[in-house]
Amino acid sequence: MNALSSQSVITVSDLTKFYGDFKALDSVSFVVEKGWIYGYLGPNGAGKTTTIRTMLGLLKPNQGEVQITGINPTKDPVQALQSLGYAPELPTLQTFFTGEQLLDFMGKMFGLGVQARKERIKQLLDLVGLKEWGDKKIGKYSKGMVQRLSVGLALINNPVVLIMDEPTIGMDPEATAHFRNLFTNLSKEGKTVFISSHLLDEVQRICTHVGMINKGKMVFTGPIAQVLEAFTQQWVIEAELEKVTETIVSSLKNLDYVEDVKVEGNKLRIELKEKKDFRGEISSEIFNRKGVLLSLNLHKITLEDAYLRALKGGQ
Amino acid sequence: MSALRRINVIVGYEWRRAIAKKSVLTLIILAIAFQTLIMVVFSRFGATMFLTDEDKSFMWIYSVLQGQGFFIPLIAIVIAGGSMSEEYEHGTADILLSKPITRVEYMSGKFLGGFSLLALVEALPTVVGVVLAVWFFGPQNSLQYVPLLFLAIVYSSLIFFCLSFMFSEVLRRSTLAILIAFAILIASSIISQLLASLYMITGEYLHFYLSRGIPTWGASYFPSLLIKELMTLPSTAFFASDPLISFEAAKRGVSETILVGEALQQAAIIVAVYAIIFILVAVYRLRKSDVTKKTA
Repeated sequence: MNALSSQSVITVSDLTKFYGDFKALDSVSFVVEKGWIYGYLGPNGAGKTTTIRTMLGLLKPNQGEVQITGINPTKDPVQALQSLGYAPELPTLQTFFTGEQLLDFMGKMFGLGVQARKERIKQLLDLVGLKEWGDKKIGKYSKGMVQRLSVGLALINNPVVLIMDEPTIGMDPEATAHFRNLFTNLSKEGKTVFISSHLLDEVQRICTHVGMINKGKMVFTGPIAQVLEAFTQQWVIEAELEKVTETIVSSLKNLDYVEDVKVEGNKLRIELKEKKDFRGEISSEIFNRKGVLLSLNLHKITLEDAYLRALKGGQ
Repeated sequence: MSALRRINVIVGYEWRRAIAKKSVLTLIILAIAFQTLIMVVFSRFGATMFLTDEDKSFMWIYSVLQGQGFFIPLIAIVIAGGSMSEEYEHGTADILLSKPITRVEYMSGKFLGGFSLLALVEALPTVVGVVLAVWFFGPQNSLQYVPLLFLAIVYSSLIFFCLSFMFSEVLRRSTLAILIAFAILIASSIISQLLASLYMITGEYLHFYLSRGIPTWGASYFPSLLIKELMTLPSTAFFASDPLISFEAAKRGVSETILVGEALQQAAIIVAVYAIIFILVAVYRLRKSDVTKKTA
């Protein structure tokens, strides 16, 4: 776990939450610092949304505490949530409003003045790609448009910390790419972005840090590179040859840094003793033994591999 | 931003939410249509059969009270029944309560928004009632009391508004909240009348007090009791009579005027006590429990 620091924007300490007899969160702790894009991963029912709803003060924890910019949202929601933006998973917005009216209402909730709201609404509708739809009733929006407006609503107060529960679900690929860039840019501006997502690829692409939760327990929290490292047990080089000979196999097995070599047809799976890229050395060895190399890949662990291993370890 | 401003923002929101409901608009139209129909019937038949000329000059009271009769408690129940619960059902409570506002401020805004809208809705049959009375029965007496009668009607509707509001928060299901509040409205009206009849048969004061302690009595009789306290109505005025008061006056051998004053105080207290209890239960539920996830 990371140590607390003055840069901490979200601090979750020893959070435990019961639904009746069911323990939804079991002493969950993590810290999110300023400027991070924190990906919060976990399978369905792991406790991701429960964590987020507790962070927002919507759920009362049985034990532990949450602090947003140093303030507990359960005790002082007005101060804690003033600089926070939140977009829920698959939101249902108030269909009797138009997009502009809902943004205006949310702006009022944050105490923005008339002129500030007017400017911000225009800016946000443009940012989320709903410029032409601002004056239309939300009841007429598609799911993807509601999702985009929901992100816009979360940004109305120019928040310091942005909490997003599955923000790109229901969006088309173009919008997904647009919002990924948006989150990255927000992070560059010094804002903190907390994203709960099932899309591992998305998390790996944009997140600087990651937290993994399974069955209510925190399995890992830390920089994304560290999670890959932590759950990597072995690096593997996969080689495809025109023809695999016994000479090539035995020579590779004799190399100091090779743990084992497995043969599958004309493919070799070379398991390494060290987490280091030995493709140059391997290709030279194969060449020296008169082998014809068709392809050579280093298989490092992906976030998905780490995620699956982490979940397995947490069970 | 001050707490008052935050509450005010929610009041405005609640107005928009309630006005957007087709059921509320339908009930308002039905209330006015029913009120007009009754006055047409009275002008056609009552004027020739049993209404004296003196009665006719006070018909605005009947017109206004009758306009509030059944539909206004129903509108109160529908507005309040969906106020809190629909936000949980649609998942919008999460969005609203994740903004910088306390739960009590949020509930205050919801309550004041819904209740102020109900007051505005009640103003409509009040004005229409007076207009219809003048239209069908000619010039009316004591019209200076119209605003007071209106305020009395608004006050008395607190009971069913608060009852439905409480169920809306406690059950967090709009249909269930509306149905239960409506069932209580009907049941308590029947039980109150049964107990009053029982008292008139047995003379047991337990039945008398139980009859008055039931929510409908305070809500139904407070406006008419106030009118009787404020002005002298013709003895033939059927629309402001409470059989229990007449019975009690005869039994005790006192003037009905004395009992009207007593009953008015009791009705005012009963409305206030029920309203406060219902609101406290709702506040307790909201403050102590988690915000329920989307259910609809």
